[in-house]
Amino acid sequence: MSAAEGQAFADFVTELTKTTQELGPFDKEKSRRALGIVENVLTSPRLRWLMGMDRQLTQRENVFHEKLDEGRYRELMRGVVENEYQKALLLDALGDGPLSVREMASATGLPVYTVSMRLGELEKSGRADLHSYEGKTPRFLKVAA
Amino acid sequence: MNDSHEPKMLAFLCNWCSYAGADLAGVSRFQYPPTVRVLRTMCSGRVDSLHMIEGLKSGFDSVLVFG
Repeated sequence: MSAAEGQAFADFVTELTKTTQELGPFDKEKSRRALGIVENVLTSPRLRWLMGMDRQLTQRENVFHEKLDEGRYRELMRGVVENEYQKALLLDALGDGPLSVREMASATGLPVYTVSMRLGELEKSGRADLHSYEGKTPRFLKVAA
Repeated sequence: MNDSHEPKMLAFLCNWCSYAGADLAGVSRFQYPPTVRVLRTMCSGRVDSLHMIEGLKSGFDSVLVFG
């Protein structure tokens, strides 16, 4: 939008006010957890490093002289976002208390295999750890940051 | 306009374009709803996705970025 487009600004605000009204008031208490999860994804170092690197990676190259085409870059970004989102979901579920892999899977709706993969990554980065054994079932807990 | 719910909206405006545009809208007396709270940034590229999350967390119903 340019500085000369005062009318456009007024139109945008009018239109977006209508959209917001149709969506209804945003309940921040209800969405607190969801916002926390999204915040966790957005602050993850991996995503932070990749954000805004599209030109660098697609038009120039990385330190290993590798160049990605745009499709590959988009695919990479999508993968990282999905991965970080799954990890944030797990951390959110683990905040409630020690859980087994199966319980995490049912709490987050992710497949058991995915849960175990992401849990491994969380353990490696020191954000989740083994808590106790219930019979032979290991239970995991979030490590306080 | 439906008066039952007046939304609260946060708008990030770029100093060099949309902020001046909003100023022009005011000077030219264009009618638009008083729902936006304006936050001026020196460039809309400065706005981070975390700023939007923070906006929602502070109780805004929507967050807009103009550039």
